[in-house]
Amino acid sequence: MKKKFAMEGVDCAVCAERMAEQICKLPGVENASVNFLTQKLILEAEEAQLEEILAAAQKVVGRVDKGARILL
Amino acid sequence: MTKRQKQTLARILVTAGLFAALLILEKTGRLAGLGRWLTLLLFFIPYALIAYDVLFAAVRRIRQGIVFDENLLMLIATVAAFCIGEYAEAVSVMLFYQIGELFQGVAVGRSRRSISALMEIVPAYANLLEGETVTQTDPDDVEVGDVILIRAGERVPLDGEVLTGTSMLDTAALTGESVPRRVAPGDAIVSGCINDSGALTVRVTKSFEDSAVSKILELVENASSKKAKTEQFITRFAKIYTPAVTLCALLIAVIPSLLTGNWREWLERACIFLVISCPCALVISVPLGFFGGIGAASRRGVLVKGGNYLEAAASISTLVFDKTGTLTRGEFRVTRVLPAGCDEATLLRLAALAESGSDHPVARSILAACGEAPQAQAVADLTETPGEGVEAVADGRRIAVGNARLMARLGITPPAVKTAGTVVFLAEDGQYRGAIVIEDAIRDGAAEAIAALREAGVRQCVMLSGDRQTAAQAVGDRLGLDAVHAELLPAEKVGCVEAMLAEKGPKEILGYVGDGINDAPVLTRADLGFAMGSLGSDAAIEAADIVIMDDDLRRLPTLVRIARKTMRIVRENIWFALGIKLLVMLLGALGFANMWMAVFADVGVSVLAILNAMRMLRVK
Repeated sequence: MKKKFAMEGVDCAVCAERMAEQICKLPGVENASVNFLTQKLILEAEEAQLEEILAAAQKVVGRVDKGARILL
Repeated sequence: MTKRQKQTLARILVTAGLFAALLILEKTGRLAGLGRWLTLLLFFIPYALIAYDVLFAAVRRIRQGIVFDENLLMLIATVAAFCIGEYAEAVSVMLFYQIGELFQGVAVGRSRRSISALMEIVPAYANLLEGETVTQTDPDDVEVGDVILIRAGERVPLDGEVLTGTSMLDTAALTGESVPRRVAPGDAIVSGCINDSGALTVRVTKSFEDSAVSKILELVENASSKKAKTEQFITRFAKIYTPAVTLCALLIAVIPSLLTGNWREWLERACIFLVISCPCALVISVPLGFFGGIGAASRRGVLVKGGNYLEAAASISTLVFDKTGTLTRGEFRVTRVLPAGCDEATLLRLAALAESGSDHPVARSILAACGEAPQAQAVADLTETPGEGVEAVADGRRIAVGNARLMARLGITPPAVKTAGTVVFLAEDGQYRGAIVIEDAIRDGAAEAIAALREAGVRQCVMLSGDRQTAAQAVGDRLGLDAVHAELLPAEKVGCVEAMLAEKGPKEILGYVGDGINDAPVLTRADLGFAMGSLGSDAAIEAADIVIMDDDLRRLPTLVRIARKTMRIVRENIWFALGIKLLVMLLGALGFANMWMAVFADVGVSVLAILNAMRMLRVK
C-alpha cells in the first residue's frame, strides 16, 4: 500500500533525507521518502500496521526536526 | 513569514542591537578595564540569545548519534572562536548564520507557494445534482453516473459528458492553450478546466481518482521521485561532503599546529572550514530547479514524468516522428480543389450534392469542405458504384463523382494530378468539371515546430511511417525532414529506431514522438518517448515519458528550451556553490579568508542559489 501524507515545518533538506532514511528502517515499512519541497511523506507500508507505523514515523520526524510533523 | 520565522527575526534584531552597543563600547575603550572574564560574559549574552536553538538542535543530533550536523559544527566553530578570544567574531558569525538561515527559510517558503500555485488545478468541491436539489460534495464522494452542475466560473471537478447547456471551457491549466473550447451536449469534458460562461449539467464518467486532474497531479508530484542524474549525484555528494570538510578542519587544526606550535592561528583557520560544512545550497537549489522546470513545462501543456526525462530532453539530438496522427491529423481533408471551367465553390457544391447520401470517408471530407449541407431533395436518381464513385441527378444535370475508372467509363480522360493523396474527379453532363484532392492533412504548426526544433539545436528530424513511400515522402518534403522511412510494419519501426540508436553518440539523446496508442514498443525503446496526449487518453499517458497534452507539435521546441534552461540553471548553481565554497576553503587554509567570508560561502551562497533556481518557477 502506498500513501501520501502532508507534513509541515520541514525546514531543512538534509533533515528530510534523514527522516526518510529512519522511517525506512521502521518495521513494516517497505519504502519511504520525504519530499522537502512539497512537504510530503510518501509511505509504502503494510496496511495492517499503518497506525503503529505512523505513530513511530511521527516520533522520528519530531526527533530529527523539532518543528516538523506529519499532518494526520 | 511563519510564526517561527518572525520569532527568529525578533531575536536577530535584539541580538544585533545588543551586539552593536557592545562593539561601540569596545571601540571607544570603555570595556578595557573590565578584564577578560567580564568581557567574555558581556559578549556571551547576545551569543546565547542568538545561538540557543542551534545548541538545542546540536544536542538532539548528538543523542541520535549524528556527528556531521551543521548545527553542531557551527557551534564548535563559534565556541572555538570564544576560546581563542575572538568574542566579537563568534557573535557575528552566529548572527549572520541565523540571518542567512532566515533568508533561506523565506526563499524556500516562497518557492513552496509557487509550487502549490502550480498544483491549483484541484477542484475543491462538486455540485451534486439530485432531482432539483444541489448539494456541495467532496469530488471524492461523487460516483460514476452521478449528475453534477457546473456553474460559470467554476472548475470542472470530474471528467464527464455534457447533458445540457453550452459553454466555453478554459483549458489553459491543463494544456497551456489559451483559446477557450466550445462544449455542447454530448461532448466529453475533462476535470481541471474552468467553465467560462454558461451553466452545464454533466454526467460523471470517471471517479475522481481516475479523472484527468488526479492523474496529472500525481504525475507532477511523483516526478520528483524519478531523479535526474545530476540530482542523484548531488544527493550522493552531500552525504560525503560534510564528513570530508570536517575531516579537513580537523587536519588543519592539528597538523600545522603541532609543526608550528601556533594553535590559535590554525584553530581559527579550521573554524572557517566548519562554517562551510553544510551542502544546503546544493541539496535545496538543485531539486528546486528541476521542480521548476517540470512545473514550467506543465503550464505549457507538457507533462514531464521525471527530472531524468527533463535532463534527457535538454540533450536531444535526433527526433523521430510517427507520421499518421502525429505529423498529420490522421483524418482526411480536402486539400486542393482544381476546377476546370467553373469556380472552386461550384465544383465543391456539385460534388457535395452528389455525395450527400454517402457515408464514405471521401464523401464526408467533401461535405465538410463544402460547409453548408446541400439540400437533399435537390438530388435524385442516386447510384453508388463501389470502386468507382457516385452518379446522381441534381438541378436537372447529371453529375458523376469518382475516380479515373468512372471517368473512363463515361468516356472522359481526366488530366493527371500529382499528389500523395486521393483524387476525385467530377463530370457534369459528360463534361469534365475538375478534380478534388483529399489528403491526410499535416497538422497546423508542424513545419513551424520542425524549424523551431532545428533552431533549438535538434540536429536530425526523421519520420517513420507505415504508409506508401510516395505519400510519406510528400509529407517529409513539405516539412523539410532529414529522412523518411516508409512502408514499415510496427515491428520494423522498432528496428529502425534501434539502428539509429546504435549510430548516435553516447551523450546524444534520441526522442520518439508518437500518438501513444500503437507506438508503445517504439516509445519505450527510444531514449525519450513523447506521446501526443489528446487530453485524457490513458494509453498515451501511460506509455510515454513526456506527454503533449494538446497535440500541438510546437510544444516540442518549447519543451527543449525549458529543459535547456533548467539544466543551465542547475549547472550554474552547482558550479557557483561548489566554486565559492572551495575558494573560501582554499583562502581559509592559506590564511586569507575570515569567518565572514565563510558565512557568506555557507548561507549567502545558499540564498543566491535558491533565488537562481526560483527563476524556473517564474517561467511563464
